[in-house]
Amino acid sequence: MIHVWFRNFLFFKKTFFVSIFWTVIEPLMYLGALGYGFGRYVPPIEGLSFLDFYFPGLLCSTAMMVSYFESTYPNYTKLTYQKTFSTIMLTPLTYKDILLGEILWGATKGIIGVFGVLLISSFFGLFSWSYLLILPILFLLCLVFSAFGMIMISLAKNYDTFIFSTSGLIIPLSLISGTYFSLKDIPEFFRWLAYLFPLSHATQTVRGILYRGFDGMYLVHILVLVIYLVVLTYLADKLFKKKLIS
Amino acid sequence: MEKIKSLAVSIQNVRKEYAGISVLKGLSLEIRQGECFGLLGPNGAGKSTLMKMIHGHVIPTSGELYVMGLNTQFQISEIKKKMGVVPQEDGLDTDFSSLENLLLYSNYFRIPKDIALSRSEFLLSEMKLLEQKHQHVETLSGGMKRRLAIARALLNNPQLLILDEPTTGLDPQARLWIWNYFEKLKLQKTTILITTHYMEEAEKLCDRIAIVDHGQILDIGTSAELVQKHIGQEVVEITVGNEKNYWISQVQGKNLEFQDYENKLFIFFKTSDDRQSFIQNIQNTHYLVRSANLNDVFLKLAGYQIRGEG
Repeated sequence: MIHVWFRNFLFFKKTFFVSIFWTVIEPLMYLGALGYGFGRYVPPIEGLSFLDFYFPGLLCSTAMMVSYFESTYPNYTKLTYQKTFSTIMLTPLTYKDILLGEILWGATKGIIGVFGVLLISSFFGLFSWSYLLILPILFLLCLVFSAFGMIMISLAKNYDTFIFSTSGLIIPLSLISGTYFSLKDIPEFFRWLAYLFPLSHATQTVRGILYRGFDGMYLVHILVLVIYLVVLTYLADKLFKKKLIS
Repeated sequence: MEKIKSLAVSIQNVRKEYAGISVLKGLSLEIRQGECFGLLGPNGAGKSTLMKMIHGHVIPTSGELYVMGLNTQFQISEIKKKMGVVPQEDGLDTDFSSLENLLLYSNYFRIPKDIALSRSEFLLSEMKLLEQKHQHVETLSGGMKRRLAIARALLNNPQLLILDEPTTGLDPQARLWIWNYFEKLKLQKTTILITTHYMEEAEKLCDRIAIVDHGQILDIGTSAELVQKHIGQEVVEITVGNEKNYWISQVQGKNLEFQDYENKLFIFFKTSDDRQSFIQNIQNTHYLVRSANLNDVFLKLAGYQIRGEG
């Protein structure tokens, strides 16, 4: 597993500058334009300024997006055109090593994205020691969407397939999961819908830990994320295996 | 079991079906240690499926496969440690340079770093790729890519080397160089399993050859045995034009084996004396006398029709 992770890390080192560039620039734009700029016209949400409210949402949606994209497009290329996975299958490593290595790598990239947001946030005076507590939760979220990405590459017929999961799931989730508005303020149907998916559980927990201290509900949210991770990894295992062994 | 352990590959009544379609139909085969074994067959014959079974990418529907005494279904990681594979499509990691490709691959085999580096450098020089060491693999020529894929397959000092159409698409110089290299490997007692469409390649390299079609083995033997058994010593090709029926009756009258192919007849002779007495009677018709070869055997067993890709 770690050998597959390491391959991606080596490639990341080669393209380090480009990766770091967007990792830092993107949150700077979002926090600057939306959080700081647009946020000044918005009244407080759940007793928090818009910037404060939005920041945990941005952390979670960044974790989700970066992991998902890292686990889909590059891995689909490795599965099909580049034949990287078929070649690794000629070595003593198994399809499980590839699957778990890629899930771990996708999550690693997600956490690197999170660090970019944290770095930029400290310029906006948002630094907090509770970062140490939210990192494991964000990493768990990254693993969930990285595993989801591996399911998608196993189902995909071509690159266009990812438009369904991106536009049909990832983008809507980033909008309805309490990133830009409080889940308390939306119609019940949408609230239930939001809680059906993992992102809102992470957003609620991260926002809570950053501003409100401990709450027993966090354990429920974390449990939901863990269940998602186990189920998605199990499905990814079944589907991905079929792609490499017939 | 003792016998299985002494063989490089033992394939026992293996079947493979995809959605009810039989690709391999109860195929059995034994490859001895240290021999170079060739699998010949038209496109879609089941060669690639068989190769993929040996390295674990395809699981048999029924039957058993052993590589160096280990069962491919349960001990595939152990098997892969002792095996090197050059796949048809090279499968080089295009995100990296030549040397990096070899180092990464060594890492998948858990070969310690210092050993991996010296082994990679050695193989790059063996494969005449030292100058391209830091070159991105995308920029290498077809022949260089293939040589790098061969170097990669040798990193773990394999006991069994699997080559799936190793010289397809290469120019004659590159092909000659690769054949020469495989002959060196044969001297080191590496077992080699090769699939190819080039009869010349099989005749030159392989100790034994199996001709495969429709998921079954049609015959196995040395090149000379197969040629002698199925064809004989010489072949006369007569361009018969519209006198085909006349010539067929002539040949049948003499009890000779022949193949009818468009405007030609290929007539097979067990000895050159037989051939000599036959051509004495040919007048005003174009003909050609040549030695019988593996190509004749292949076409006779697998048929003369053009096949689809696959």
